Amino acid sequence: MHRDGFAVAELDADERAVIARVVADVGLLLGEEPFGMEAEEPTVGDGDELFGFLQSLEAALADPDDPAVLRVLPNAAPTDREVASEFRRLTEPELRATKVARLKAMWLALSEDGPEWAVPEEDAMATAGALTDLRLVLASRLGVVTDEDATALHDEIELAAHAVETGAAAELNVDPERVWLGMLYQALTWLQESLMSYVMRNDE
Amino acid sequence: MSIQPETTENVSVASRLDDVWVTLVWNDPVNLMSYVTHVFQTYFGWSREEAERRMREVHERGKTVVSSGGREHMEVDVQAMHGYGLWATMQRSDA
Repeated sequence: MHRDGFAVAELDADERAVIARVVADVGLLLGEEPFGMEAEEPTVGDGDELFGFLQSLEAALADPDDPAVLRVLPNAAPTDREVASEFRRLTEPELRATKVARLKAMWLALSEDGPEWAVPEEDAMATAGALTDLRLVLASRLGVVTDEDATALHDEIELAAHAVETGAAAELNVDPERVWLGMLYQALTWLQESLMSYVMRNDE
Repeated sequence: MSIQPETTENVSVASRLDDVWVTLVWNDPVNLMSYVTHVFQTYFGWSREEAERRMREVHERGKTVVSSGGREHMEVDVQAMHGYGLWATMQRSDA
């Protein structure tokens, strides 16, 4: 949905707080400064379980030699170590700074009051880039490496969400944390897809 | 001091500067077809049709060459693609 030069997603304060928290986690993964030291932590409603998932996600994100970081900042020359390390030396600080800055801008926008998340047109591509980095990190955590993995994840999450709703989760051996991460991944995919249809509405 | 090693080095540097490099974009399960198309259009200045054709090549064949030229030029393109979150690499065009 869009309105007067803004792409608008109807996300309530709790939904925005969950996304903002993951944005801050990925920002911390790529940068050094935690977001929001100067601001109040966004509050999540009755989300004890949710916070448990978030905390384990944060613990996972702190791994050294993290494969998720390698997805966001890939090897530029897998067949030539000298070219790859020179590229990393020359470009990585700037790439990290760019990515952290747009995550921070997204985090600030999500932390504002109101019934929705409004992205001004001039920030739309930076936000889409931030959504890409978030999804790359989550996909890495979920073990999504191939197109087939992505399709399988979609089916798995759909089945598991249905099982959780109908109380059959225990029988299916559902891992609630994985289901939650998968649902978050899909929500971010949907948000990016909507944002791109707004950005591309006049492309020829 | 022998002049031989220097000559050899000059020749090697000259041939390396003349090398043609390519930038490749690889398929991945995360990047959206719409997003990749728009990035190709805005960064490389391609028409929507051309950008979609190249995006499909990435999706269906696993990769496409998006640019070619000197190594420094390719470093700029790869950095830009990584900025967008696309999986890009560079190599000598004969590699």
